[in-house]
Amino acid sequence: MSAVTSAPRRTDKPQRPDAPSGFGRKAGFVIVLVLAVLAWNAAGLQLDKLVRAPARILRLAELLFLWPQWDAFGIAMQGMLESVQMAWLGTLIAAVLSLPLSLLAARNVSGRFGSEATRQVLNGIRAFPELVLVILIVTVFGLGPVTGTIALGIHSIGTLGKLSSEAVESIDRGPLEAVDAVGGTWAQRMRWGVLPQAMPEIVAFWLYRFEINIRASAVLGVVGAGGIGAQLTETLRYKEFGRAGMAFVVVVVVTLMIDAISGRIRRRIISGAADDRDVDGEAKAQLEVDPIIAAEAGAVRDGEV
Amino acid sequence: MIEFANASVTYPGGVKALRDVDLKIDDGEMVVIVGLSGAGKSTLIRAVNGLVKVTGGDVRVDGESVPNASDAELRALRSKIGMIFQGFNLVKRTSVLNNVLMGRLYETATWRTLLGRYPAADVELAMRALERVEIVEKAYVRASNLSGGQQQRVAIARALAQEPTIFLADEPVASLDPPTSHVVMRDLQRINHELGMTVIVNLHFLDLARMYGERLIGLRDGEVVFDGSGEEADESVFESIYGRSLTADDVLGEPAPDEDAAEVAP
Amino acid sequence: MSATDAGTVAPQRPTKPRPSPMRYVAVGVVALLTWLAASDLTGIGLVSRLQRTFADGIPDRTAEIFDQILSPDWSILGATVDPFLETLAMAVLGTLLGCSLALLVAFGASAITAGGRKRLAGTRSIMSVIRSVPDVMWALVFVSAVGTGTISGLLALVLFNIGVVAKLLSETIDAVDTGPLEAADAAGAGIIARARTAVFPQVLPNYLAFSLYAFEINVRASAVLGLVGAGGIGQLLLFFRNRFDYDRVSLVVVEIFVFVFLTELLSITLRRRLTE
Repeated sequence: MSAVTSAPRRTDKPQRPDAPSGFGRKAGFVIVLVLAVLAWNAAGLQLDKLVRAPARILRLAELLFLWPQWDAFGIAMQGMLESVQMAWLGTLIAAVLSLPLSLLAARNVSGRFGSEATRQVLNGIRAFPELVLVILIVTVFGLGPVTGTIALGIHSIGTLGKLSSEAVESIDRGPLEAVDAVGGTWAQRMRWGVLPQAMPEIVAFWLYRFEINIRASAVLGVVGAGGIGAQLTETLRYKEFGRAGMAFVVVVVVTLMIDAISGRIRRRIISGAADDRDVDGEAKAQLEVDPIIAAEAGAVRDGEV
Repeated sequence: MIEFANASVTYPGGVKALRDVDLKIDDGEMVVIVGLSGAGKSTLIRAVNGLVKVTGGDVRVDGESVPNASDAELRALRSKIGMIFQGFNLVKRTSVLNNVLMGRLYETATWRTLLGRYPAADVELAMRALERVEIVEKAYVRASNLSGGQQQRVAIARALAQEPTIFLADEPVASLDPPTSHVVMRDLQRINHELGMTVIVNLHFLDLARMYGERLIGLRDGEVVFDGSGEEADESVFESIYGRSLTADDVLGEPAPDEDAAEVAP
Repeated sequence: MSATDAGTVAPQRPTKPRPSPMRYVAVGVVALLTWLAASDLTGIGLVSRLQRTFADGIPDRTAEIFDQILSPDWSILGATVDPFLETLAMAVLGTLLGCSLALLVAFGASAITAGGRKRLAGTRSIMSVIRSVPDVMWALVFVSAVGTGTISGLLALVLFNIGVVAKLLSETIDAVDTGPLEAADAAGAGIIARARTAVFPQVLPNYLAFSLYAFEINVRASAVLGLVGAGGIGQLLLFFRNRFDYDRVSLVVVEIFVFVFLTELLSITLRRRLTE
């Protein structure tokens, strides 16, 4: 055996290959560098302002948070409540309208032309930022939360439709064939073949969108569309920093609270109730991947949204 | 020298993977550990470099206690112990050479690893390790483009690049086909014979174990039930280790091919 | 005998299970919240507002504005180029800075690479706070601190990007193949070397895709940050709106739309190629 192992296995010694040039990588770095320099020039940043920025931000943080104005708490909560209501209704409007659109956009259940056309419509809707929508819609519904709600609703149709159609596209084909095999209509196909499979994920996307819309609705007030945004703008403009800080804190705390509740419901919808009661929870809870963020990450990576 | 003194491992779930193991492995030995899956083979081998911490007793490598080592001491200790795995554990998205250079991480300054600029001496070391396992021509190929056997040889090169004194192999052939298994086992044997490293291998197949193991340790339910030479280990010994009569799944069932056959690209 | 007739020794048919009460509770809660949010007394009065709008018909002034919106004023096209470049520059710089920082934060926010529970919990809480504040609100705060201009917008984008990219990336890191990590540990690597060599190559394509996505949302965001004084085309939009020049507002909106739409197309195409 030792004779076998000590014998050289090869007589022609293989050559070490040449290192690749790495041209692509270098070119990438150069492009990014050139872009950065061009952008730096075009942005017209004033260096002295930039240097002073950290100190000024710290100073503002002091003004905002060190002397909280508790009598502003009630008003801040009222504003935030209005923002949450706008987010809720906006999400609901978008959910109802995006569901049929997502079926039309899904390549596996819709025609080729129909899905491509619907996709472009959804992309188009998404390209209007909420604040821009507000500027247009305000001319019809006037200043106030209704305008904000409708802007949120319209903008969310784009993202929700896109993400939901992803969920529809990832379903198992078997049940579809089964419905076809018993001679089902298009509507029956959707109701019994598609929705039972895709619905949990779609509902989870709705909740996720609600979380995002809370953030969005908190700023719509800066263009007069209701919610806590108006308070923030005005208190900062008139340098009532204690009140502004209170509004800021209320936004953060309420948003985090709703995130926590909504996130828990989302996980439950996706993974079923059983997994929540896992005993050796501690390590698991730390590593647990948020299924919706993971789905979003996947869609982002693959260029689907 | 590696010493297990009353070493026990109990996992957080309450599973006892090792029970009061006493072992001494001298420098330069070629040891094969056999046992059913779940017998504690992987735990035993990982206790040597501290990937699993013993919860009772002690494990000493060259006189240094592994469970009591600080983080820095543990890293120093690990840098002298090479290891390969059942699943190869290569970074598939990067080149073979970059994978092998991971064996130099302990010695390399952090800023160099961040930029991916290794010293020329380390690159030379990595190249030589690749030459030893005869796969140097793939140095700049992505690891994902290699076959299983080639990946395991890259993993061996990565461990060799550490210039270790001890070489651990956790089920190195479990994911490979029979001819490739022999190639890998022979690589390990040459590492032991030519470089004088202590080699500890976990194996499931008893014919491989008998063929390559100069010393054989049988584990059952976390306890050492056999410790002797390969020749001593006959069928009845294996049955006592496995706790049942042997089946076709317990042997690889392919004799060591001659040299030409071993060269067939897997 | 019809096809659905069973044999003679048919087992007992099960009784129809009651739907889970959770379902009724969920429907009830959604309905209640919706009513509370929409009603006149406790909510934003959605229904009555819609009724009023449609009962009164579109007011004359609105019709006028709509006429203006439908006929954009193309003559100022040239004047919008510079603000647009400023917006684009802001998006580019914000992406580069934000995504670089997000890379570091993401490694601290994944259980696999954080190296210690305290650091993990710390990074994650800071990240949640950053994420809970919308981009425009960051811009508001920075405008108040450092004054109007692109710097405020840039800072807001950087923070916003850290929130988005670090979140997506840390979830990706949580899901990497941990085999190479074990190998790095066995070779005695420290946590930085381990993250760089065993994790980074695995998530690099995702990271690049997320960065492109961040650029895309930055373009969208930077277009509106100007509405709170943070530079770029948004500031021009605000200016025209405050003067009720709706034909010009309309032009800028069309431009923003085209601009955002094109960036999106480009980003989606690149991301698809990246992961092929």
